[in-house]
Amino acid sequence: MPAIGQFVLHSMANPPLKAGEYTLAGQVDVNKANGDSVGPVQTQETHLRVTAPRYKLPPEQMLSTFPPANSEGAYESRLPQIVLKRRTLPWEREPEPGNTTTPWVALVVIAEGEGTLSGDKPVAECVTPGLVLAGKSDVPTSIYLTVTRSVIDKVFPMREELPLLCHVREVDVNDTELANGDDDGFLATVIANRLPQYDRTNNKPVRYLACLINVEGQLAELAKPPLPTLNFLATSVVFDYRAYSATTGDSDHVVMGSSTTATVHGAALPRAAGAGVLAATGITKAAAAPVPVAGAAKAGGAAQQWSTTAKKVEHVALTASQDEAGRLVRDVMLEGYRGNFEYAFVLEPTYRFPVLAHWSFTVTGDGGFESLMHGLDVGLLGTEPAAPKLKAGEPPPPPLARPAAEFTETGHVGLPHLTRRGDRVRAWYRGPLGTYPTTRDAPGEGGRLPLAHVSDQLRRSVPDGREDLSLAAAFEIGRLLALSQPAVVRAMLAWRAEQFGAERARQLLAVLNDAPALGGVLKGAAAGAGLAEMLSRHLVLSAAARPDKVFAPSRVLVDAGRPLPFAREGGLDRLISEGFGFSAAAVKKLRGGMGTVAALQNTVVPVADVSVLEPLLGGVAADRMRASLGAHVDSLTADSLGRVSTGSGGGISTTGPLGVRRKLEREPDALDALIAGALHRSPR
Amino acid sequence: MNANLNLSATMAMQFVAQSLSTVKFSTQEDDAEFGNRVVPRELRGWLARLRLLEGVPFSYLVADEQLLPRESIRFFYLDRAWTDALVQGALGVGTVNSSDRAELNALYRVVRDELDEEERRVRLPGGETVQQGPAGPVSGFVLRSRAVAGWPGLHVRAYDRELGVADDAAIPESDPRRLKLLRMERLAPAVLLVLFDGIPAVVHIEEPRQGIQFGVRLSPVGGDPNNLQAGVKARNAKTALDTNANAADLVPVPFRPGSPGVIDIRKLNEALLKAPNTNMEGSVDGAEFALQMLRFPYRQVFGDPSVNGAPPLVNVFRPTLAYSVAKLATLFSRS
Repeated sequence: MPAIGQFVLHSMANPPLKAGEYTLAGQVDVNKANGDSVGPVQTQETHLRVTAPRYKLPPEQMLSTFPPANSEGAYESRLPQIVLKRRTLPWEREPEPGNTTTPWVALVVIAEGEGTLSGDKPVAECVTPGLVLAGKSDVPTSIYLTVTRSVIDKVFPMREELPLLCHVREVDVNDTELANGDDDGFLATVIANRLPQYDRTNNKPVRYLACLINVEGQLAELAKPPLPTLNFLATSVVFDYRAYSATTGDSDHVVMGSSTTATVHGAALPRAAGAGVLAATGITKAAAAPVPVAGAAKAGGAAQQWSTTAKKVEHVALTASQDEAGRLVRDVMLEGYRGNFEYAFVLEPTYRFPVLAHWSFTVTGDGGFESLMHGLDVGLLGTEPAAPKLKAGEPPPPPLARPAAEFTETGHVGLPHLTRRGDRVRAWYRGPLGTYPTTRDAPGEGGRLPLAHVSDQLRRSVPDGREDLSLAAAFEIGRLLALSQPAVVRAMLAWRAEQFGAERARQLLAVLNDAPALGGVLKGAAAGAGLAEMLSRHLVLSAAARPDKVFAPSRVLVDAGRPLPFAREGGLDRLISEGFGFSAAAVKKLRGGMGTVAALQNTVVPVADVSVLEPLLGGVAADRMRASLGAHVDSLTADSLGRVSTGSGGGISTTGPLGVRRKLEREPDALDALIAGALHRSPR
Repeated sequence: MNANLNLSATMAMQFVAQSLSTVKFSTQEDDAEFGNRVVPRELRGWLARLRLLEGVPFSYLVADEQLLPRESIRFFYLDRAWTDALVQGALGVGTVNSSDRAELNALYRVVRDELDEEERRVRLPGGETVQQGPAGPVSGFVLRSRAVAGWPGLHVRAYDRELGVADDAAIPESDPRRLKLLRMERLAPAVLLVLFDGIPAVVHIEEPRQGIQFGVRLSPVGGDPNNLQAGVKARNAKTALDTNANAADLVPVPFRPGSPGVIDIRKLNEALLKAPNTNMEGSVDGAEFALQMLRFPYRQVFGDPSVNGAPPLVNVFRPTLAYSVAKLATLFSRS
């Protein structure tokens, strides 16, 4: 298999069996062991039919055409071609009995007026009357091309040329450019022999029809041309039946392509029958070359046709239903090739060829790609157009209808500007196609890019006092383009609703991931949990881990005790001994001999007799108690007095805890003031 | 982050972010090539195409007819500020209130970066890898010529240097020396717009290949444009190479008299057989004939100094002035 971009050319791919009916006979002779024949076994016969397209090319067999169908281009120096998927297709039938190497198809290219295509007809009618193609047909109906003898002589390929115009190409199936979607990489190509010419007389495009025709049985009728020349006049005309039919009675129908003549068949018209017989029997071969017709007559008609047809084809292709589109498009392409002149035209014999496939294309303009490219005015956008090169005698171009445009070195164009207030001013505008590379906005503070939200934010003032509306216009057209497409608006709003915040969260996350310590701290969050749950869990867990840091210091479980006062004054022993009035030192001494409990039992505690009118307590203990009580009473008194003196001043005396009444010193109040006042007034 | 954990507002946001990382975003824009993206895929594609000026009215591109006369080619630098403004306008459709605008403002840088990335994928030739890296300057040309109308499917290639390889060498689009085509479109039947990812040194414009074509070289006889003759360059049937290097040495093509353009194939064959060094051994078959008639496309080179008649591209992409519109405005405000 060749590499991509390369291909191998083969001159033909001849199938071992041509299309037709075959009988496969199996014969077996049985012999005895000694060689005596027992006799043949009954012959086993199998019937095979090798099929091949005959009147109509299956659409899937047509891989590509050049020039592309319904295209327009300067195809003047290119030979039209059709690429077929099955490599053996051009050799699957015998164009004449026994001829296995000549292809049975030919690609002919005809201009308008050189021939007509029929409507759908039974296949028996699709060949020149009198000729019968034996064997099965692939389809019941097909279309045929009708041409005159002179068109065959002038345009059709010659018999010897047919093998040269077909070849097989082998390419890599993966090569999209060459293989074009073929399955095995072998393609059959049929080339035409005619360079489609542009109409130089009228400077008009010409529409051509390329037909893949079946030449079965009519090989002998193909061209036997005179000696060639090495140049040609592009203005000369091959043949135009319309020019002849103008002199015949029923030219109207022919030119208009109306169906009245097209539907008449067979021997309905005597002239038709005559022509058919002549053609079939070959009595009259190539009549004299047709009278040359003024090119203008032919080309005028063609030029009017071509543009409308191309549009019609597109229209049909767009509007027709899926199933019908192919047929209808091909049908419209035939416009200009309609009409049936063979019954009306008797100057020359006419021939019919079944058309397997056809397409039309338009040749627009002359001149080669090379010359056009060399003539280009090259420059940067904004350069002034070069002065037109005038041919000798050509009038100078008319002056521009409007004042010359205002260009600046920066690529700006001055344009009239109607402001919102209605003022007519001029503004600067520069499109996206600039003369100089420009800088883009760089990220500013915080890595953000400036973003305009309304077009007015992008209006700029320039030193000459005008406004530069380039970017504002860009903003506005961008907004309008977005608004013009409901799908875009919907996508924008959906995006806004769902995703505007997501990127910020992601950026935050990136920051978070950069802090390694945090990862450990926050690790362990259960995946898939809801956001709220996760957030609250984090909060609670964090709070529980270090509550003192989160809420407040905790209350200690046990408060430390206050230092006992008697510990400073000699300890518990001394307190007890003094309280009970015995000597701690004596008890300590005794404890050494008999133990603490026994020592206490033996120690005598002085007990006072309540009947004696003496102080119950005496000595140290009595002094202590008195002092202690006195201090207590004093403190209570002081507290009460303080409260009284700072209060509203209700009482003048208070009762101590022990019922001791005391006259209290206090601050004078309002009552005191009244009493004092009364005392002052009474002596008068 | 300190080891001492303080529950502050920052930390609460971090909790949110941590939680968000485990929540699956509802992104349909999971991209096999680029991974997750902020802008949804279909919107990204649309915005990137918008940035390549798809749908922008032609009068916005070329504001005056005199900027693009007939039969001319005009090179240009794409103004990124202009296309950014275009995208900003389109993005503005998605904002309804101030908080949207604030969000979009925060997001815009990411959006712009993603579109830089995406605009290189708008036009992807089959089987080639996408070029990566930050978006650089974009240049291109507008060609207004009958060549655009007459040769549908022109091939345009741009290189950042003169390659010095054979003319038929296939250089993939992913080759670093080759500038990727961001967009190539016929804006009108005779106007072609091409955008390159970079600034080219050499630009090739080539006749359409469209598979394989067969044809001749047509030329007028004398000064009469209607009287045409044709020639075929003879090739060696064994090697498929031209029999001689002289481009003018053609085998004349015979035509049928009275039939414009109809080639007498039989006689042409005889002429080809007689041509020296064709190596066809006495007869011509279909394959050999096809080989002789194969027509290779013409290539116009812009910027190659070694090619005669090629317009110099260096003069086209000349050094630049050091100011742009934004700076003009600053000058104005200062004065």
